[in-house]
Amino acid sequence: MNRKVMIPIASIIVFIGFLLLKFDFEAVDSSQALWDAFIVTAGGFLTLMIFSFLYRDNPFYKFAEHLYVGVSAAYWMCVGFWSNIVQQAIPHLSPWLSEALDQPFLGYKWDYWIPIAFGLLLLTRLLPDSLKIGWLSKWTLAFIVASTAGLLMTANLKANFISQISSTMSLPLLPDWTGFGDFVSNFDLSYGGQFIKMLSNWVIVVGVISGLVYFFFSKEHTGWFGRVSRLGIWVLMVTFGASFGYTVMGRVSLLVGRLTFLFRDWAGIIS
Amino acid sequence: MTLQSRTSRNAFWPGFRLAVYGMMFGIVFSSSAVLSQEATAEVDNASTMLAPMLAPAAPGNVTVEDAPNDAGHAVIVTFSQSQAPADGQALVLGYEIYRSLARSGPWKKVGAVPSDVDVTASLIYKDAGGSDKSSDDYLPTETDLFYRVRAVTADSTLYSDSEVSAPAQAVGQWWNSGRNPVFFFVLFFTLLTLYFLRVAKQRGDSLYIRPLAGIDAVDEAIGRATEMGKPILYVLGLGTASDIATIASFTILGRVARKVAEYQTDVIVPCYDPIVFTIAQETVRTGYMDAGRPDAYRDDQVYFVTQAQFAYVAAVNGTILRDRPATNIYLGKFYAESLILAETGAIAGSIQIAGTDEIAQLPFFVVACDYTLIGEELYAASAYLGREPLLLGALKAQDYAKAVIVVLAILGVIMSGLGYEGFAKAFEAVG
Amino acid sequence: MKRQIPLALVFIFGWLMLALYFIPLEGAQKVNENMLDWTSIIGIFALALGIWSLITVNLDRIKHKKRDWQYSFITLFGLFGMIIFGLKFGGENSMFQGQESYMFRHFFNDILIPIYSTMFSLLAFFIASAAYRAFRARSALASILLIGAIIVMIRFFPFVAEYTRPVADWILNVPNLAAKRAIWMGVGLGIVATGLKVILGIERAYMGRD
Repeated sequence: MNRKVMIPIASIIVFIGFLLLKFDFEAVDSSQALWDAFIVTAGGFLTLMIFSFLYRDNPFYKFAEHLYVGVSAAYWMCVGFWSNIVQQAIPHLSPWLSEALDQPFLGYKWDYWIPIAFGLLLLTRLLPDSLKIGWLSKWTLAFIVASTAGLLMTANLKANFISQISSTMSLPLLPDWTGFGDFVSNFDLSYGGQFIKMLSNWVIVVGVISGLVYFFFSKEHTGWFGRVSRLGIWVLMVTFGASFGYTVMGRVSLLVGRLTFLFRDWAGIIS
Repeated sequence: MTLQSRTSRNAFWPGFRLAVYGMMFGIVFSSSAVLSQEATAEVDNASTMLAPMLAPAAPGNVTVEDAPNDAGHAVIVTFSQSQAPADGQALVLGYEIYRSLARSGPWKKVGAVPSDVDVTASLIYKDAGGSDKSSDDYLPTETDLFYRVRAVTADSTLYSDSEVSAPAQAVGQWWNSGRNPVFFFVLFFTLLTLYFLRVAKQRGDSLYIRPLAGIDAVDEAIGRATEMGKPILYVLGLGTASDIATIASFTILGRVARKVAEYQTDVIVPCYDPIVFTIAQETVRTGYMDAGRPDAYRDDQVYFVTQAQFAYVAAVNGTILRDRPATNIYLGKFYAESLILAETGAIAGSIQIAGTDEIAQLPFFVVACDYTLIGEELYAASAYLGREPLLLGALKAQDYAKAVIVVLAILGVIMSGLGYEGFAKAFEAVG
Repeated sequence: MKRQIPLALVFIFGWLMLALYFIPLEGAQKVNENMLDWTSIIGIFALALGIWSLITVNLDRIKHKKRDWQYSFITLFGLFGMIIFGLKFGGENSMFQGQESYMFRHFFNDILIPIYSTMFSLLAFFIASAAYRAFRARSALASILLIGAIIVMIRFFPFVAEYTRPVADWILNVPNLAAKRAIWMGVGLGIVATGLKVILGIERAYMGRD
């Protein structure tokens, strides 16, 4: 027997072994207990299969990946269907359908026909090409993209743009030397003196402006303009580095915490 | 900045969340207990010291105005506070606002305001009701409303009512003037864009644009893929068709598909969102048609995977490791999966081009990818690939708008420094 | 007709949604709110297309015995199994109660969630390899990024933390804010520009050519 046969058989044997371990032999409803045991064992096995990816791509990972894709696609489809179509739209469309689907009828609302109509237009893509009506689906795409574009333009403008400009404008930049001595004598940036605040405001204003200059596309980045733009990308890179380092340390300290727990508290290896 | 994940919030570490909630609850509970103790202590002091027998002075000058910039279900009530307690008068703790549809009542309590230490200050209460007639807090529009304010004390029998206000109506507005800065900016920008579109039509594609390494790399990458006989992987991210980053990415996908078709190589587009999937199919098909090779397009190049974040990642990871694409392009919205995808691609040895407007994910892309389009660069990229005069014109308008902002920011900072706070305030959008 | 109607739809709905933002009247705000519902309902129809694509791609793989075609059976098995569990028929006592079905819920809780958490935990390993990659900075910009990363990372180390912590905190607060603002402003502008290009019909790769 070769590996292709041995590995699946061995895995099935191990799986059954675990299943028996998890099976509650004293349960009243034995078929229920079998399902419970099966599901718990399967969850554990799938976890290990996904972890095996860290070693390299392998049949176990492929198995878990393909199962995960199928199950999750169907899961979200069912959830979406029940919550968006059945619970949201149907109770406003038809008393007959509502009753058939066990939903209380909430009164006609004609505007729910709009998305249904656009949705049906979308489905014309499934019809054979020979009918030549698949292009109707573009109406739906046009509707969705255009209305969200219109909707988001203004909302983003306010949050990302107008309010950022006004809060940058109101930063005080006038020289204020209070606390300068403390800063020089022990290089303490955490000291809340006015001097540090003023310095920080300068950094913010210069950083924002040079960052914006970096995003200029239609002017050559040479000469003084190029230098400002380079300062801008440096500011971006330093902060990317800082947030990267922060995340790395966050993850590492989580891991260290788990390992400490494992070796000290749980296994008692280090005291 | 931490990694964010779209769906993890509900599923991850319920125990930890519970502990945090518990702590928060504990803090709120203990502090509220302390506060209420203090409040009662104060009231006890006041009542024992003054031993009041008389009701406080009545609040006055109740005026009601329609709340601006709304659908017409809110009014603003302004009133002056009761005068400082004279001998024997109870201390006013706060004011209750009552509303009625008739001068004579019946009155409905709609809210309360604590009293201010400075009794000369007027107080403001916004009575914002619901728009649903059947709901309990419904506030009728364009109907006369009467208001009355009651000064209340620690002793529920000691209070005094103001005069009933003059009638006022809640009216819906046609225009939200609080959003004027947004409106003027959109107007300004639209005109600017239209102007540069005209310029671009006349001047053709001679408008200068600075090189963008990530975009220059796309051509190179397609050439490399052709040489190696390997496909190109294009990931549109987790965005929906409602994300502008995704819409920007469609345009780039269209150009990439066209070039890929010209070079006779292959592009694979696994999709997360079903609407995005439909649009991506249309985009790639059009790209192939523009290249004059509509027959080379196959429906299984652009396929739907699943709408679960990590199942999608698992599948794309599989594709990266098994198909070994020469180039991976990640443009659009990305969340926690950015690092998993980019690292897997880097380990597989593909050239990687990424771009997103999710600031939290940019550091990971910068570290793990060869080229990263940062924020606005993603939006500008479509103009680079197509070199269509109209897109270049729009880009030019974008730059001019930026120049205006830089100038405005500098002006604003100077004005604030000179003490003219109004300048910065003019840019604040409210509501 | 084929070309004009979609463009007209883009024009009408684009400007309409833009205008509604400035109109506080009830009807206008209702349309705004309804848009979200509408998109999610249309999304379900699109999902039908998606699932159809998933099925045909996998059937095609099996039919032409493409690489790893055997695994397509697993995807289809999971898909149809879950769809069947998600059905609702047969009244109160049947096994099929839609989202409330025993199997449906348990597949989610005991199969999907463990895989999900495992994938999430892979992040810890990937960030380790990404850090290794960052430490081989290949360009001037990468070195600047590395400096930022190192300053913040040694913030956590004993002995030196006392000196580096204020600098690290300062970087995480001050230049970070500047960079974020610059990106936000650029993105805000890019969003308006892209939205405008869509509404004006300049950017229309998303609906094909004919």
